[in-house]
Amino acid sequence: MNKGLVFDFHRGTTHDGPGMRTTVFFKGCPLHCHWCHNPESICPEKELWWDEKKCIGCMTCVNGCPAQALKAEPGGIRIDRELCRKCYRCADNCPAKAMSVAGTEWDVEALVKEACKDRMFFESFDGGVTVSGGEPALQPDFLEEFLKALKAEGIHTALDTSGFAKREVYERVYPYVDTFLYDIKFRDETLHRQYTGVSNRRILDNLRFLADKIRRKKDRAIWIRTPLIPGATASEENIRQIGEWIQKEILDVIDRWELCAFNNVCRDKYRKLGKAWEYAETPLMTEKEVQKLADAARPYAGELLVVSGLTAKVQGEEGSGN
Amino acid sequence: MNTSGSKFQRSPRLERLWKRSTDLSKSGRRNVYVDNPEFLVYHWSGHSAGFSPATGEMALSDDQRINLGDHNCRVDIGKDFPWIAEMPSRKEGFEYSAANWARDYVFFLDHSPAEVYPDETIVSEFHWQLDEARKFVYPEEVTELGFELRQLGAGGTSLAHTCPDLSIGLAKGWTGLLADVEASRDKWARYGNRKRTEYLEALAEVTKAIIRYTGRHADRALELAAAEEDQEQKARYERIAANMRQIEKGAPETFEQAVQWIQLFQVVERINGHGNGYGRLDLLLIDFYRRDLEAGRITREEARDLLAELYLKYGGNYFSFGGRDREGKDVTNEVSWIGLEAYDMLGGYNHLGVMWHEDMDPAYYTYACDVVTRHGCGVPTLVNYDVMRDSELYSGYSEEDAWNVSYSGCQWYCSVGSEYSDHDLNSFVLPVPMQRAMKIAEEQNTESFEEFWKIYTREVRRTAEALAEFKNRVYKWQDRVWPEMVTTLCMKDTVEKGLDVTSIGGPHNAFTSVNVLGVPNVVDSLYAMKKVIFEEKRYTMAELNEAIRNNWKDQEVMRQVMLNQEKFGNDLDGVDEIYVRVAENIRDTLEAQRNIKGFHFRASLFQYMGHTYAGPMLGATPDGRLAEEPIAHGCNPMHGRNTQGITATAKSLLKVPFREYQGGSLQIEMQPKFFDGKENKGSYIEKFSRAFMKQGGIQINFNVIDLEKLKKAVDDPTNPEYADIVVKVTGYSAHFVVMDHEFRKEFVQRVNYESV
Repeated sequence: MNKGLVFDFHRGTTHDGPGMRTTVFFKGCPLHCHWCHNPESICPEKELWWDEKKCIGCMTCVNGCPAQALKAEPGGIRIDRELCRKCYRCADNCPAKAMSVAGTEWDVEALVKEACKDRMFFESFDGGVTVSGGEPALQPDFLEEFLKALKAEGIHTALDTSGFAKREVYERVYPYVDTFLYDIKFRDETLHRQYTGVSNRRILDNLRFLADKIRRKKDRAIWIRTPLIPGATASEENIRQIGEWIQKEILDVIDRWELCAFNNVCRDKYRKLGKAWEYAETPLMTEKEVQKLADAARPYAGELLVVSGLTAKVQGEEGSGN
Repeated sequence: MNTSGSKFQRSPRLERLWKRSTDLSKSGRRNVYVDNPEFLVYHWSGHSAGFSPATGEMALSDDQRINLGDHNCRVDIGKDFPWIAEMPSRKEGFEYSAANWARDYVFFLDHSPAEVYPDETIVSEFHWQLDEARKFVYPEEVTELGFELRQLGAGGTSLAHTCPDLSIGLAKGWTGLLADVEASRDKWARYGNRKRTEYLEALAEVTKAIIRYTGRHADRALELAAAEEDQEQKARYERIAANMRQIEKGAPETFEQAVQWIQLFQVVERINGHGNGYGRLDLLLIDFYRRDLEAGRITREEARDLLAELYLKYGGNYFSFGGRDREGKDVTNEVSWIGLEAYDMLGGYNHLGVMWHEDMDPAYYTYACDVVTRHGCGVPTLVNYDVMRDSELYSGYSEEDAWNVSYSGCQWYCSVGSEYSDHDLNSFVLPVPMQRAMKIAEEQNTESFEEFWKIYTREVRRTAEALAEFKNRVYKWQDRVWPEMVTTLCMKDTVEKGLDVTSIGGPHNAFTSVNVLGVPNVVDSLYAMKKVIFEEKRYTMAELNEAIRNNWKDQEVMRQVMLNQEKFGNDLDGVDEIYVRVAENIRDTLEAQRNIKGFHFRASLFQYMGHTYAGPMLGATPDGRLAEEPIAHGCNPMHGRNTQGITATAKSLLKVPFREYQGGSLQIEMQPKFFDGKENKGSYIEKFSRAFMKQGGIQINFNVIDLEKLKKAVDDPTNPEYADIVVKVTGYSAHFVVMDHEFRKEFVQRVNYESV
């Protein structure tokens, strides 16, 4: 039986598809977006990480490491990932759970059970389970089996995807997905490559393919999501370009186009992985900035446009998430 | 917190009344005090036998007593009851008897001023409670048991949250009630039962004093009317006089008089020294409303204004709306709507409850959820009618008594007119027997968790038995120490029987419910010990006991190991299984105890305030908690330990069937940010609470609070910016800055659902 690598669950979320949902985060992603909010999602294997806020400095991990891969330095515990033999003894023995492993293997049956714990709330809120990542399509067999099992349980499913996967994967999972959450980050291919490491050609092709299928059967929903990243995607030009594309290619089949304002609450995750993040000090966008982009998008999507995420408090005004 | 406006505009007159009432609250003149932290933890202070008397010889200074915040209708005027030295018990001698108590009550009420203020239609307020003028203490044979019991981890005070059936009084009026009392007195005299005859004679005197008090309001209103030049105000005084005159002579005839009668009842009852629940307002008033409406005597708006006045006058009422009738049909009627609209018009603190059930008018429940989120003060409290009723049936109430259950404030519910509620103030501090068990396990070198569990349950039983012994000693004395004669007037059969509601055999039902404090800490502790001490054998019980004794000093590794085991409130099967065992055990242990009133003890999984102060008293606990940290609030997970969100917490709680307990509310503190991106806050609360209650949840207390603002308010209580913040502290709401500093501190530590 297939095993899947999952790095997180969010229960009771109302941002990842219709109603109240449990989001299951698959580990591994082919994109390397500069602003990535889940840096632990990228590597398709288990990863050690260390939380300075939890660490009590007891040295259990350092002293117990058979490979001498851990060192106590003035900035905290440094993990030498070359030396690490991935025995994870350090994480097992850490009394404060400061050293831990991102990524857990699940079989389908157990994962379905875990993901459906909030079924009583799915029913009340017309929600369900969302598979996100990372890029879930990187684990195609497991993804298909998992979604299929969820459907067999009568659960509403959503797939949050970057679109960067083989078409065949979307063909396989299509029967078991009720709502696609599909990212368009840039219209411009060069910028896309620059900020995410991959071309957007395949992404847009796959989206056209899904749109065609939906157009014929009208039995699936699709939400387009665009993260608003200051200095990257958050330009009026980019938003207009995406808007034009949406209007031309898929407007008739989408349920919404969501602009998600940037936040930096994931700062700690980079610290825990010992990685630098160029957005660590980037402030929230102001309400005005977000509105401007929304105004740029609206002519293309009208009522389908949705804005979400936090905005900065401007002096004298309440911050709002709208 | 009043985050956004009301749907209804206050008239200028109501605006003035609102301002007066709110100013009284904000200036600390409606505060409720308790004697000491022990009262909050063990629900027994060892000082006075009730709440802390605000004035008089039993009153404690501000640095001794603890301020619970503003939820009293008593209006403090900062001085003692002026005729205190003339009290009959002081002049003629104190004795423990209903007759002696009644003489004091009559004198006290006769010397309580009848006050009428400009702009109001609904009148009557008071400045002193009887326990400020008459000594409210039990004899030594009771108190000595109390001190012993406290050592074993329990305590109790018998008062509050009974629901008299005001429909009895509304139908008969004071004069009708008096006639019943006198008829019963004559009957018992005929039978030759001197004790009951004396009791009823005393009750007749109490009733007559109430009638005089009513009449004095009429006199006062006429006096004011005569001197009043403003025609509108003059007419209002005259209207008050006419209402009071009617109520003095007979039963209330109009909606307005009925509302006034209810306010009067609340005052003359609460003047005893504590509040009660007053039942199902929509059932009580619907006939009055319909009759007036048909006769063209009232408009919907006028009715709404009158209920708003009632709320302002009492300063936070204990009424409920909704639920089912005798046949099981939805009760929701026009008064249910008007009553909630009246609150919507006022906002702020109150203690109204909406009793949901699956057949409730969905529009009404939607409105209730809209109100609770829009005002953000936790009002109304959302409770589950069916679970409340079923828990009464489970315990052995008759169907006739059980259908008329009412939410009666905090986490309590009471069968209207047929139950003496000894619920509010009995406490079982569950970590204490656990700590004893740990010492015994150390001495006996206990090897397995199951053996340890046996020791634990034996110690729980020991405390429960001691609690039963103490309560029974109290019950032997209760109707002589502090009878509740006004309440007795509106109970089923009590007048006929010639017995006080606190007497053995008085009310239909007299169960003893017990707030169990620290359930989540015990659950987390037992689970951590099971894993670390008994299964992994990483440390010995002796090492653990030593570490705890020293508040984990130099044992941070051990503390982290214990702290990082699975914790209750995350929907995890392993630890939640222990929750179920702990809950079932305390339920069974208490149910095995019997009181001398003929009823068993019941477990409540909620304790309203003790968690704030219990920390240092208990010391550190094996769940990794430091001595200085508070303990968990009721059966809500320990602060900061529910990491999986509200849905997981709700699911953990629901692993016990609440009909087998007497309450256990889910407390949710949310930040406004939580609602970001949600189009309709009310609909979120509605769907969440429906799902929760459909699965057997009994109560949800919602707060919507701006944590940053609240944190600043903790140490800056005089800043006017924070003066209006109202929070649902536990079962009750209060102005945040008016409360004791410890409460403010604890409140901001509770888990805050900022985002999902």
